[in-house]
Amino acid sequence: MTNDFILFFPVVLVSLGAIGLMLAGTCRCFRLEHAAWASGGLFGLAFLVQLSATLACDHSLYNSLFKDILVVSPFSKAAGLVILGCGLFSVCSSISYFKRNNFSGVEYYSLLLFAAAGMLLLTMTRELVTAFIALEIMSLAIYVLVGYDRDNVLSTEAVMKYLVLGAFGGAFFAMGGAFIFGAVGSTKFHLIGNFVATNGFSASPALLAGGFFIMVTLFFKAAAFPFHAWVLDVYDGASMPITGFMATALKTAIFAVFANFLLADAALQQGWVNVLFYIAILSMFMGNFIAIGQNSLKRMLAASGIVHSGYLLIGLVALGSQQQIPGSVIAYYLAAYAAGTLGIFSALSFLSGKGEQWKNFNDFKGLAKTNPYTAFAISIFLLSMAGIPPTAGFMGKLYIIIAAIKAGHVSLAVLGIVSSIIAMWYYLRLIVLMYFHEAERSFVEEYPCRVGMVSTFVLVLCVFAISLYPIAL
Amino acid sequence: MFAHLLSVMIFLPIVAGLILLFAPLGRTTARVAGFGVSLAVLVLSFDVYAGFTATGKLEFVEYIPWIPSLGIAYHLGIDGISLFILMASAVLLPLVFVLFGTRSKGYYANLLLVEGAMLGAICAADLVLFYVFWEVMLLPVFFMLGLYGGPNKLPATLKITLYTIAGSLLMLASLVYLAVQYHTLTGEWSFSIEKMGLLNLSGQAAAVALFGFMIAFAIKIPLFPFHTWLPDAYTEAPSATTFVLSAIMAKIGVYGVIRVVMPAFEMEFARYALLFAYAGVISMMYCGLAAIAQKDYKRMLAFSSASHMGIIAVGVFSMNVQALTGTIYQIVAHATSTGVLFLFAGILEERTRTRAINDLGGLASKAPVFALFFAIAMLASVGLPGTSGFIGEFLIILGALKFNVWIGVFTGLSLIIGVCYMLWMFQRVFFEKSKAASESFKDLSLVEGLAFVPVMLLILIMGIYPHPFLRKIEPSTAQYIAAVAPSGVTQTVAVSPALPAELTTEKN
Repeated sequence: MTNDFILFFPVVLVSLGAIGLMLAGTCRCFRLEHAAWASGGLFGLAFLVQLSATLACDHSLYNSLFKDILVVSPFSKAAGLVILGCGLFSVCSSISYFKRNNFSGVEYYSLLLFAAAGMLLLTMTRELVTAFIALEIMSLAIYVLVGYDRDNVLSTEAVMKYLVLGAFGGAFFAMGGAFIFGAVGSTKFHLIGNFVATNGFSASPALLAGGFFIMVTLFFKAAAFPFHAWVLDVYDGASMPITGFMATALKTAIFAVFANFLLADAALQQGWVNVLFYIAILSMFMGNFIAIGQNSLKRMLAASGIVHSGYLLIGLVALGSQQQIPGSVIAYYLAAYAAGTLGIFSALSFLSGKGEQWKNFNDFKGLAKTNPYTAFAISIFLLSMAGIPPTAGFMGKLYIIIAAIKAGHVSLAVLGIVSSIIAMWYYLRLIVLMYFHEAERSFVEEYPCRVGMVSTFVLVLCVFAISLYPIAL
Repeated sequence: MFAHLLSVMIFLPIVAGLILLFAPLGRTTARVAGFGVSLAVLVLSFDVYAGFTATGKLEFVEYIPWIPSLGIAYHLGIDGISLFILMASAVLLPLVFVLFGTRSKGYYANLLLVEGAMLGAICAADLVLFYVFWEVMLLPVFFMLGLYGGPNKLPATLKITLYTIAGSLLMLASLVYLAVQYHTLTGEWSFSIEKMGLLNLSGQAAAVALFGFMIAFAIKIPLFPFHTWLPDAYTEAPSATTFVLSAIMAKIGVYGVIRVVMPAFEMEFARYALLFAYAGVISMMYCGLAAIAQKDYKRMLAFSSASHMGIIAVGVFSMNVQALTGTIYQIVAHATSTGVLFLFAGILEERTRTRAINDLGGLASKAPVFALFFAIAMLASVGLPGTSGFIGEFLIILGALKFNVWIGVFTGLSLIIGVCYMLWMFQRVFFEKSKAASESFKDLSLVEGLAFVPVMLLILIMGIYPHPFLRKIEPSTAQYIAAVAPSGVTQTVAVSPALPAELTTEKN
C-alpha cells in the first residue's frame, strides 16, 4: 500500500497543487509570479518524486494500483517523467512569455497542473472508464488554456475548433468504451486482450466498432492522419508555451495510453497493425507536405508534430514482435522529441515579442548575427528534430528504425527515412535564414527575463544528455 | 604516450573548436589557437604512425560500451587502411591555418570541428559511431560554405547538404539492416564494423541495403551520377573548405566503401563491382572532359578532383591487392596533390581577385616559387613518374587491368585527359602574356613557402621511394582482400614477395 502511494504520489501532488493554486488565486496578495513559481516548484518536486520512483522501485515490472485500474510500468514511469519535465519547462517559458503579454492569471498555472494530472493518470490507466476520465480532465484544462487569450481572434477560433472536435472525440471514446463493454463484459485492457486472444479480433461487431471509435479518438488526439487538420489552427491560435505543452506532454500521454491499450494483447495489436502501418506512412508524408508550405514557424512546428506522430506510430507498429523494446523506444522518442520541441517553443516564447508579432520564418533572418547563443540553441533543437547526430532526436530515430526493421517492417523504416529527408528542407530553412542572411531588425530588446534563456539552454543540455542515455531493452 | 591516443586526437580539435565558437576571442587568437591544436594533432598522429606495427588488425583500440543492450559501443581503432587517411588529414590541416589569414573566428572553429569529426569517422570501429561522426562532419562544412562562401553560396550549400543528408539517411537504414541481420544470424546485438565483416549477405534485400550504402558513399566521393553537387560546392566554398572536402572528406567516402560495404556484402558487391567500376570510369572520363571546358580554374580543379576520385574508386572496385594498395597510396597522393592545388587556387584567388583562367597569364616569371610548387603538385596530380601520383595510379591501373581489361584501358586513357586540361591550364595561367589581374601578383612569402616544403618533399619521396609506405599498407590490404574477395578469384601479389603465404593462411 505504501508502495502504491509512492507510485501514485506525483498525481496526488500535482492535483492537490492545482486545487490549492486555484483557491490561493482568490486571495489578492497571491500574485502571478507566486503562482508561476509555485507551479514550477510543484512540477519540479513531482518530477523528483517520479524520478526516485523510477530509479528505486523497479524490482517488479508491473505494479498494479487500486485493483488493476491503474498499473505502473517502466514505460508509464518514463512517460510520467517526460510529462512532468514538459510541465516544468512550459512553466518556465510561460514566465518569460507573460513578461510581454498580459492576459495571464493564477488559474493559468493551476490549469497547467490539472492538465498534467490528467496526463499522468492517462499514462497509468489500464481501464477504459478511467482512461476516459483522465482524458477529459486533461482535455478540459487544455481547452481553457488554448483559448486563454480571450481578446485574440485566432485564439478564440482555435478553442472553438478544438472544443467542438475534441467533444466529438470524447463522445467517440465513451461510445467505443460502451461497445467494447457490451462485447467483452469488461473495460479492463487485459481482459479485452484475453477476449481478443481467445475469440479473435473480429468475433463481435461491437468489439470492432468499439475499437474503431477508440482508435479514432486516439488518432485525433495524437494528430495522426486523417484527423490532423485541426492541429495547424489550434497550435497557431494557442499561446507559445501552451503550444509547446500540447505538442509534447499531450502527445506523450496519448501515446502512452495508445501503447498500453495495444500492449494489452498481441492479438489486439495484430488486428490494428495494418491500419497503423498506413496511418503512420500517411501521417509522415502528409505532415511533411503541409510543413513545407508553411511560412509561419508555429504552423510548421505543428505540421512537423504530425510527422513525429507518424514516427511514433512506426514504434507502435513494431510493438507486436517484441513487447519490451518498442515500449522503451517510444518513451525514448517522446523524451527526445519533447526536449527539442519544448526548446524551440521556449526560445520562441521570449523571441516572438508582444502579441506574438514575430513568428514567421522571415522574422528570424540574421538572428545569428545579433543573438548567436539563441540561434545556436534553436539550431540544435532543429537538428534534433531533424534527426542529425549527436542529438537525442537522432538516437530516437535510430531506435525506431531498429525496432521497425527488427519487426520485419523494412519498408516502413525506409519510408520513415525518406520522410526525414524531406523534413530536412523545412528544418534547414530556418537555420539558413538565421545564419546566412543579414539581420533586418534588431533582436536586442527580446530578453525580458532570464528564466526563459536559462530553461532554453538547460534544454540544449538535455538534448545531448538524452542522446547519451542508453536505453535498456 | 597516452592511453587514449585516438580519443585525444578526435576530441582535442572538437573541444577546442567549440570553445573558440563560444569564447569571445579575436580572429588572430583563434587562428593561432587553431594552428596550435592542429599541430598538436599532427604530433599525436606521428606518435600513432611510429607506434603502428602493421599487423593487419585494428590497433590503438579503445572500447567503451555505450548502449550495451544493442551492442553499440564507443569503439575506436585503426589499421593500415585508415592509418594513411588519418595521417593525410593530420598532416595537411595545419597548412590551412598558416595560409588563410583574413577570415573570421568561426571559420577557424569550424575547421577544427571538421578535423575532429573526420578523424572520428576514420577511427570509428562501430557503425553507429561512424555514422555519428559522418553526419557531424557535414555540419561545419554547411556553416563554412553558407557563411563564408562565394556569391552563389546558398544554392550550393543547400545542394551539398540535401544531397549528403539524403545519402547518409539511406546509409542509416542500411546499417541498421546489417545489425539486425547480424542479430538474426548470431543472436547477439552488435554494431561493430569488424563483426559486420563476418557477414556475407546476399539476396534481394541485401542488394537494396548495399545500394543504400553505396549511394551514400558515391555522393560523398562523388561518383557519376551523384556528382552534380560538387562543382557548385567546390567552387563557392572558401578555399580551405574546398580543400577539406576534396583532400580528406571525399576519401572518407572511399574509406567507407572499403571498411563497411565490401566486407559485409562480399558476394553482392562482387556481383555489382563491374557496374560500380564503370560508374567510376564514367565519372573520371566525364569530369575530365568537363574540366577541359572550364573557364574558371577553381571549377576546373573541382572537376579534376572528381575525375581523380573516379580513379581511386575504380581501385577499390577492382577488389585486388594491387588496386587496393594503390588506392590507399593514391588517397594520400591525391590529398597532397589535387587537394593542395585547391590551396594554391585559394592563394591565387585571394591575391588576384579573379577565378577566370583568361584573366591570368605570365605568373611564372612574377612568382617562380609559387609556379614551381604549383607545377610539382600538378604533375603529381596527373601522375608523372617520380611523383607520388604515379605509384598510386600505376598500381590502380595494374589492378584494374587484372579485374577487367576495358576498365583498365579506360582508366589509363583518362589519365591522358588529365594531362590535357592540367597542362593547358598551367600554360595559360603561368606562361603566355601577363594580364592586368596578374600584374601585381606577389610570390609566396617565406612562411607560406616553408609551409609547403614538407608537402612537396612528401610528393617526391612517395614518388621515388615508396617502399616504407607500402610496407605499412600492404599487410592490411592483403589480409583484407583475402577476407573479402569471393572464392574462385585467384590473387597474386606482385609488390611484395612475402604476401602470398599470408594470403593462403587467411583465406578461409
